[in-house]
Amino acid sequence: MSAPGTVAITGLRSFVGQRLAERLTARGRGVRVLGIDLRRPYRLERRIPFERVDLTDPAANARLAEIFERERVEAVVHAAFRRDPSPDVEGDHELETIGTLHLLHACTAAKVPRLVVASSTMLYGPRPDNPNFLGEAHPLRGHPDAHCVRNRVEVEALVREWGRRRPDAEVTVLRHAWIMGPSYWDHVVRHFESPLVSTLLGYDPLLQFVHEEDCLDAFEQAVLDRHPGVYNVVAPGALPLSTLLRLAGKRNLPLPAGLLYRIRDLASRAQTGDPPAGFYDYLRYLWVADGERGWNAFGEPAYTTREAWIAFVSARRMRRYR
Amino acid sequence: MSDLPPDLDAGDAQPADAGRGERPEETGALHEALDGLRDELRSRFSTAAAGFDWMSFYDSLRRRFASAGMRSLPAEVDDFGMDAGALERARPWLDALYTRWWRVELAGVEHVPRGRPSLFVANHSGLLPWDGLMICHALARSGSLAERPRFLVADWLLTLPFAQPILTRLGGVRACRENAERLLRGGHSVVAFPEGAKGAAKVFRQRYRVQRFGRGGVVRTAIAARAPLVPVAVVGAEEVHPVLFKVETAARAVGLPFVPVTPTFPALGPFGLVPLPSKWWIGIGEPIATHELEVDAADDEILVWRLTEQLRAAVQTLVDAGLRQRPSIWG
Repeated sequence: MSAPGTVAITGLRSFVGQRLAERLTARGRGVRVLGIDLRRPYRLERRIPFERVDLTDPAANARLAEIFERERVEAVVHAAFRRDPSPDVEGDHELETIGTLHLLHACTAAKVPRLVVASSTMLYGPRPDNPNFLGEAHPLRGHPDAHCVRNRVEVEALVREWGRRRPDAEVTVLRHAWIMGPSYWDHVVRHFESPLVSTLLGYDPLLQFVHEEDCLDAFEQAVLDRHPGVYNVVAPGALPLSTLLRLAGKRNLPLPAGLLYRIRDLASRAQTGDPPAGFYDYLRYLWVADGERGWNAFGEPAYTTREAWIAFVSARRMRRYR
Repeated sequence: MSDLPPDLDAGDAQPADAGRGERPEETGALHEALDGLRDELRSRFSTAAAGFDWMSFYDSLRRRFASAGMRSLPAEVDDFGMDAGALERARPWLDALYTRWWRVELAGVEHVPRGRPSLFVANHSGLLPWDGLMICHALARSGSLAERPRFLVADWLLTLPFAQPILTRLGGVRACRENAERLLRGGHSVVAFPEGAKGAAKVFRQRYRVQRFGRGGVVRTAIAARAPLVPVAVVGAEEVHPVLFKVETAARAVGLPFVPVTPTFPALGPFGLVPLPSKWWIGIGEPIATHELEVDAADDEILVWRLTEQLRAAVQTLVDAGLRQRPSIWG
């Protein structure tokens, strides 16, 4: 089997879910998309069939299995994850870890032959003892303070275990770097959007992004063709944080690590929706992934890290005109 | 990128009236006019040439040309973070350290393998990577290599503020096998200090006694990357911070492996970090070829251990030769 007949996408309202659904329906090659989420996204109204399933519901696995069998789903894209860290630790665990468990049970029951899971290179964790380029085989050490990262590490462990028990199923895990582009928005983008970006005094790590279109290209190919395995989905090249800010014409506010962590910790405790203080470790240590394997499988990305950043910057009109 | 006209980056995938309020005063009027013009053009062209969407054609052209312009911008740093501009700015300082402060003498340049990346293996001393910087600078100045080599840096140095960006820009890379192998395969020469923390932790009376070379990782890396191993001796570097003794308990609190006590260091505060102006001699020895070995020889423990010991002995011999030929510490 190469191109599947019906593709189910969990988390239709997520960026990957919605844009992938648009792309697959626009192809007109007989790929049918079935959306699964809590609410229908406005833009996809009536264009694709939609099922409302709550992944935190204990009966979600039976309901999903019933949908998959009825619609003869041949590939599942799992993207029902939180885009931003939320203060609801238990709710996130239920949705991300237990929700994945329900989905995997449903895939077993309905004998779904292909599963594509959205993951992130953030799971490698920012560590001073990381090699400069993290390969797919590197252990996922996550981040001790960020429950959203911890959940996703658990999700990957569940998916790996499931893939081992189901050798006939093709499991693709795509770990993408921070997404940048004209239309993407999340807490990372929000951090970089402000004209005064707070950074850590004395630290200037290399950062890596992926352009939203390149990321979606990889997902599209993973759904349409056989690509079992784990892949880093990243743009070539890495730039120091200071260079990125200079390209964007932004000022940075360097703060000593101890002070910055304390301030951000207050913000996240006040449940303003800010990421936990541990987020700043990602602007402190190295966590650049090696994209070689992904580029060989899905083709060279159209945008380098620098170009993805400039696409984001010029779209947001953050640049000061000179 | 500041030479792009402002209309090239206006209105990218955003509805026309989003974000209009955030524009700065002076460009706001211009954008209003441009948006008006664009709407006008859109309505005219769609009626004139039915079936062809001029605006999306313009958009695709714009995207292509904007991207082409960005691709040609020079890369300021390479994949490992080495910054050619920063090195150029640091050159006068490095030159001054090299010729005035330590009066470095380089011997055995003829042994440097030409035309292929090699793994230089040197004796290590001190917590600050002066030796790595100077070996790289010596090799770059001698012109025997096509490109400036990188030096490997202990993990904990990269956790320190300011040390991380400075060392990375000057060509320092975290010491691990993945990095060394990747650099060598990419055609870059690497300077490694396989004594590691044991070398950095030598006190003054242990100076110039080359310690155990880790667990043979440096030899395994060279075999896997088919790079020759070049022994290098640095004489003089072990006196720049003469460590009298080490304090270990207090050091845990600040995250250092130990706090060295030198005649100047904690006593004079930051001024104690100024290295002493000893006379340096950098000697390069006969390379040990590894390209005739099979790649799976990296798994042959006996062979790896034998080569590691041979390499350590070569470095120790070179160090002893350097010590014999110098009249005194200050040269």
